[in-house]
Amino acid sequence: MERDAAAGSSRRLGMASLGTRLVLFFVALLVLVQGVGMILVYRSTGEVARQATDQALEQGERVFMRLLEQDRRRLEQAAALLSADFAFRQAIGTHDSGTIESVLRNHGARAGADLMTLAGLDGVVLADTMEVSRVGHPFRFPALLEAARDAGKASSMAMMDGHLYQVVVVPVMAPDPIAYVSAAFEVNDALARAFAQLTGLSVSFVAVGSGTWRVQATTLAPEVRDELAGALAGVAGSAGVRELSMGGEAYETRLAFLKTQGPLRLAAVLQRPVAEALAPFRRITATFLALTLAGLLLLVAGSLVIARGITRPVERLAEAAARVQQGDYRRHVDVERRDEIGQLATSFNHMLDGIVSREAQILQLAYEDPLTRLPNRARFQEHLAQAVALARDARGRVAVLLFDMDRFKGINDTLGHPVGDQVLREVANRVKGALAGGEVLARLGGDEFAVLVSSRGDERAAHSAASRIHEVLEAPVAIEGQVIDIAASIGVALFPGHAEDPASLLRAADVAMYVAKRAKSGTSVYDPRADERRREHLSLLGELRRAVEAGELVLHYQPKIALEDGRVDGVEALVRWRHPVRGFVPPSEFIPFAEQAGYIGHITRWVIDEVVAQCGRWQRAGLRLRASANISAHDLRHGDLVGHVRACLEREGLAAGMLRLEITESALMDDPRSAQSALARLRDLGVTTSIDDYGTGYSSLAYIKQLAVNELKIDRAFVSGMEADQRNAAIVRSTIELGHNLGLTVVAEGVETDHELAQLRRFGCDLAQGYHFARPMDATDFESWIARAGPAVARGVAD
Amino acid sequence: MSRFAFSVLGVLAALPAAAATIDAQVRDSGGAALADAVVYAMPASGPVEARGARTAEIEQIDREFVPYVTVVQTGTSVAFPNRDPILHHVYSFSQAKPFEIKLYSGKAPRAIVFDHPGIVTLGCNIHDWMVGYVVVVSTPWFARTDASGRARLADLPAGRYEVHAWHPRQRAQLAPAALGLEAQGVAAPAFVIDAAPRRPRYKPPLDRLKY
Repeated sequence: MERDAAAGSSRRLGMASLGTRLVLFFVALLVLVQGVGMILVYRSTGEVARQATDQALEQGERVFMRLLEQDRRRLEQAAALLSADFAFRQAIGTHDSGTIESVLRNHGARAGADLMTLAGLDGVVLADTMEVSRVGHPFRFPALLEAARDAGKASSMAMMDGHLYQVVVVPVMAPDPIAYVSAAFEVNDALARAFAQLTGLSVSFVAVGSGTWRVQATTLAPEVRDELAGALAGVAGSAGVRELSMGGEAYETRLAFLKTQGPLRLAAVLQRPVAEALAPFRRITATFLALTLAGLLLLVAGSLVIARGITRPVERLAEAAARVQQGDYRRHVDVERRDEIGQLATSFNHMLDGIVSREAQILQLAYEDPLTRLPNRARFQEHLAQAVALARDARGRVAVLLFDMDRFKGINDTLGHPVGDQVLREVANRVKGALAGGEVLARLGGDEFAVLVSSRGDERAAHSAASRIHEVLEAPVAIEGQVIDIAASIGVALFPGHAEDPASLLRAADVAMYVAKRAKSGTSVYDPRADERRREHLSLLGELRRAVEAGELVLHYQPKIALEDGRVDGVEALVRWRHPVRGFVPPSEFIPFAEQAGYIGHITRWVIDEVVAQCGRWQRAGLRLRASANISAHDLRHGDLVGHVRACLEREGLAAGMLRLEITESALMDDPRSAQSALARLRDLGVTTSIDDYGTGYSSLAYIKQLAVNELKIDRAFVSGMEADQRNAAIVRSTIELGHNLGLTVVAEGVETDHELAQLRRFGCDLAQGYHFARPMDATDFESWIARAGPAVARGVAD
Repeated sequence: MSRFAFSVLGVLAALPAAAATIDAQVRDSGGAALADAVVYAMPASGPVEARGARTAEIEQIDREFVPYVTVVQTGTSVAFPNRDPILHHVYSFSQAKPFEIKLYSGKAPRAIVFDHPGIVTLGCNIHDWMVGYVVVVSTPWFARTDASGRARLADLPAGRYEVHAWHPRQRAQLAPAALGLEAQGVAAPAFVIDAAPRRPRYKPPLDRLKY
């Protein structure tokens, strides 16, 4: 659980980071694009601003020059107009200095000139509106006079008393020049401001005198004014655009040199603050930034919505997947979308359905027996475990019935597996039909079935179920025209009581079933003592192996008496185990166990060895007796019994006729085919055979007829029951007759009384054995018995 | 800077009268013949006033003074007939004779008597480009050079003279050449005057302006 929670939180974290990643991606994308755009805009606006400034400066310079030219022209025109004034000329001609001065002032005021001067052809000042003292002195700019004489007019920027003036000179014609009139206006801050207003630039006039710059007029603020000269000092005195820094501000600056007279160099400085040029672009940048921010917010919000739209369903899918991981396939994912995630969810649901159906199939395969469609062993064990657990908690009871079909191997062998399968199916159907609620039938494998009685599974309920099973199996099964008798041996085990856990309970039922089978009692309830014996058997197996090697096994011999003349016809060898601790162990204790454990072959071989050897010894001592040895059904199927017999006979040099092998009727019925061929081969060898315990195996006479046997031994149960029940006598009698009819020698076992002997003789029985004559004895006892009692027996019989 | 040279060729008994002649040659500093230069000889004895009424005429033809240069003896009355179909306003601010004949057409309302020697520059107050010169000399012996730069002064009595040369565009006043004339003698002074070339002033065409 803790791990799941951790996985869940990390998954949620993963989901969140998917959304975050989406948002981050989009934001990064926008920031990148906008950033690049911003840089480009910033760069290009800077460039554009600079270019625009340069352009503005260039344009400003053109405008400025034009304005300057206009002012100059205006001045020139004013001067020219004055020079053409008749009265003025007349005044000059008549040297009327008063009139001259008044005309000069009048025109000067009209033209907006700051200074009007009249100079004679000789360059001597005749009148001056600013300084009367200049009269009689040479005109300040004689070169201008010369130029005016030659060209009709002249103009120049010029310095006067530290002030800068635009000066024009025109000759006064009458009609030849009679004087020069000069008009000038001062280039001062006011003019610069006027120019600045029209050009949109800051305008300064600077004079260059002996390498230093002096600001003559400017629109710049007083504190910057002085900085201009300093800033200009650093630059080469050439025209063009440059950036100057003044008062902590950058100015795009254009220098334009003006026409001057004499050594004076004069430049107009046109400037524009870079910040001013950039201002509109800064506004664009700010707008751009604001847009970017707004876009960013929208983008984050939008991406979050989209990311959530993606991650939510994915989270739901992940949760569903986690449920599947925990084995819950039943809950589907809600599909409400038609997009890819919706398709994914639909596929997921289909996958769930697939898993559910496949799991059901797998469960069926895992828990169902394909032949009978009954629950299989695994399923039964689960049921059993559940039932036991439930019973343990609720103080309930559980019964297990285990049964298999008697002689089922015979059916399979003689009629074939398909028939055997049909028999099993029929059995399953019948038993299933016979069961009540709370009873579960399962096929554990082969012909082995089990019934679980889980509700109130006490002994009575178990017996009820068992009797119902026996009942439905009474009627023979008819398959393909064949009628087959079937029967079952049922073992019953109960919880609580017989076992504390399901496995032990099943084993207990198994033990009980074996008991039932051996006892041919149909049903047997588990008896712990039986189980104990069983456990003893297990430990016996090891001891039995040792017993064969250590010679603990011995053969006892019981004489077979010919009823015709009382002579000893032969002996039956019976194996005995003299256990060093347990003492005498009866054959019924270890022979069935040895058969079950597959160890009987060793014992049989030892017995045959021993019998043949004893027979040989007796023969050499002049005692010719036919000896019988018991073999089991197992011996017929496994190992080379015939070869072993032949080897033993050859080793002893004993005639095959001296050995007789006895096999029980039930052993023959268990595996008729192997028995038939083995018996035939023994007959070929010359060894005679005998059917032991005849009458218990329900074998048909027709079957016996096919077998190559020489002798029939009537079971002691019939013989000893003759006195009490006439029917037994009838069976014995008819059996004797039957045997004779088949050409067989008939032997009666367990003869204990004279009466029995008399009857047998009357019935024409050939041979008899039993305590009436002698009990089984070891070889030595037997030898002394035959020497002492043999003739007496003969006599007694003959009586 | 002035420079002159003269030679006197004594031609005795060649001419019947007792009068002498001056054949002056005026060139510019480039050596080219200079027209419209005034050459006059002042007798050493002093100025000679005119006897009887002397008149001259300066016309205005096609908005020009014709002739461009006029030489008159002191006291000469000069008329200014206007041959143009438009008005003229002739004036002079020259010290020798400032005057003004206000707007008129055809015959000027009055003639101007130039009674002081000197240079009188004529202008028209209406037409700025119009310029003319009246050289007033106190001697009867004067002449104006022709296109070949020659000026002949005839019928001069023998004696000593100062011969002056003047030109309206001269850059400097030339010093007079002093010479003695014998009866029937011929003097041929040569003058070099540094004169500016005549720059025609702008004169709007009539047909366009329709004065």
